[in-house]
Amino acid sequence: MKKALSLLSLIFALSACGAKTETIRIGYIGPLTGDAVSYGVDTLNGAKIAVDEVNAAGGVNGVKVELIAEDSKCNGADSASATQKLVNVDKVVAIIGGQCSSETLAAAPIAEAGKVVVISPISSSPDITTAGDYIFRVYPSDALKGKALAAYFLKANFTKVAIISENTDFCQGIRSSVKKDLPPGVKIVFDENVDPGTKDYRTLMTRLKDIDFDVFITNGQSDATVAEMAKQLRALGMKQQMVGTDTADSATLGQIAKEAVEGLKPLSVPMLSEADVAAADFAKTFRDRHGEPKATMFFAALAHDATRVLLQEIGKAGSGEALKDALYAVKDFTGIAGTFHFDANGDVVGIPLAMKEFVNGMLRQSEIIPVE
Amino acid sequence: MQLLLNALIAGSFAALLASGLSLVYGVLGIFNMALGQLALVGGLTTWWLVSILSLPLPLAIAGGILITALTTWFGFEFFVAPYYRRHRFLPLVTTIAFSMILDGLILVIFHQEPKTIDVGTRTLLPVFDALISSQQIVLIVLTILFLALLTWVLVKTAFGRRIRATVQHPTAAESLGIRSSLLHRIVFIVSGVLAGFAGIYVGIDQNLTPTIGFAITIKAYAAIIAGGKDSMKGTILCAYLIALLEQLSIGLPWFGSYIPSGYQSTVALLVIILVLLIKPQGLFGSKTRIA
Repeated sequence: MKKALSLLSLIFALSACGAKTETIRIGYIGPLTGDAVSYGVDTLNGAKIAVDEVNAAGGVNGVKVELIAEDSKCNGADSASATQKLVNVDKVVAIIGGQCSSETLAAAPIAEAGKVVVISPISSSPDITTAGDYIFRVYPSDALKGKALAAYFLKANFTKVAIISENTDFCQGIRSSVKKDLPPGVKIVFDENVDPGTKDYRTLMTRLKDIDFDVFITNGQSDATVAEMAKQLRALGMKQQMVGTDTADSATLGQIAKEAVEGLKPLSVPMLSEADVAAADFAKTFRDRHGEPKATMFFAALAHDATRVLLQEIGKAGSGEALKDALYAVKDFTGIAGTFHFDANGDVVGIPLAMKEFVNGMLRQSEIIPVE
Repeated sequence: MQLLLNALIAGSFAALLASGLSLVYGVLGIFNMALGQLALVGGLTTWWLVSILSLPLPLAIAGGILITALTTWFGFEFFVAPYYRRHRFLPLVTTIAFSMILDGLILVIFHQEPKTIDVGTRTLLPVFDALISSQQIVLIVLTILFLALLTWVLVKTAFGRRIRATVQHPTAAESLGIRSSLLHRIVFIVSGVLAGFAGIYVGIDQNLTPTIGFAITIKAYAAIIAGGKDSMKGTILCAYLIALLEQLSIGLPWFGSYIPSGYQSTVALLVIILVLLIKPQGLFGSKTRIA
């Protein structure tokens, strides 16, 4: 009993110690397990590098920054509880995250209520535009992707579009954006939704085979599901062009789906231009510490930039409402991924879209699509 | 025709898992909640042997199965054996604990990225108006052979007779010189091996992510409940039946239009509920346990 008591007092003493050390706490939420893990790992590593850079330079106004990472498994429920913990228990100043759109959307009302700024590195659902005043992102909205795809369909002379979408915020955002901006003369001939995480698309592909279509959109939430769509489509002998979204923009996809994704064109953000000195430096640091990125280096760069712009403004404005206003007032922040600022909705201005293509199992950039 | 083939592909996988589940329930009277994780162990270790150690596929599969068998044995000794004679619901809890530990270990060892067991390029073969890859044919045929062998062992051999004797009356069987604890051990490990094969099956046919463990356990449970908890043949048939129902429910137009694919598993599970309303012991179940 005595032993237990002394142990208990020791624990109290230690925890008191922990509370005394002064740090600026920022949270991270993203998928650290599950199908979408590639995006989580890359963005977390990107954010870590940014925090380490700032700490190495003395911290924010001399105070060290601490990054607290939570796994939100690419779904709203886990993200909501992660955000609750970060906001109410860890009392973070701001959150880098929500990688999957469902995560960001679920985090938004909780962060908004706690006046905690959220900057999402890679969430793209159109709904995030209006998710709240404290919600920012450094990734172009999918509302722009519908327009870019429409232009691509016209150019390639595709008039019959087939699409399979997972039932998640991100995929449904893409789906409605594609439908909304469909150019005249182009129609959707196959439009099916599946449960999140579905890996068996054989029935749908069997039906699709009897349908006359020009192009197929692999609208899955992760590279793991996109891989199965592509494999099972090709397994039935269909040869049509496939177009993917950001989730197909993943090095892992080439490894697990092999020849099935050959020629697949992901519409996503550009590749990190390593001709740029700062970008090359960042890429080298990343590879030295974490190896090759699981999805793309650009995602890591976006998370890095989101963290850097956040810490820069925390230095000027502190936290809460002042921090939010400071972020809206940022003029042309030069990061690794590009030079950007936020519009009145907290959406990024300055990060373009790009069409890529799998050639011999590797991603190649085919064209940059500027967005207004 | 393609729908039928699709059902065979999906059903074979569920049948492998469900037969192991049914075997353990039939003989030991317990449910093993870690089956999905054991499948992952089989799939992922095989992936590791093929991709990292570049062993030839048959050797890797043997290795993967061996590791799964050892893991299952370990699981039995620590999470089942001490408890299952006291109360048959205790292992329900302990195997959930085992599954969580395995989940954690799998994440630590294999990381989180999706993995697929590389078996070279797929050749597509036409069957009537449908297409199937050569690997899928091999997988389906092997599964059916394997399950047939298992049923044959249970029904026709002396070993099978001993197992059934243990089920009917453990004490009487022991008094006749049958070591029931050894039999239980073997049966449990066989179920793990079946799960291991199921994991390799998904690893070759689709891809493996560390979080699918629980989801695939559920599929097997649907089959065992619909088929009758104690009838292995019923369970296997139901695994295929559910797969076929899932295919038919969204693959064919019903009254002129298609059911949205999001309802695929809902429709199949609804049918199960209807079956159970009419025949609560399951399609092929009997009222008493007879393995």
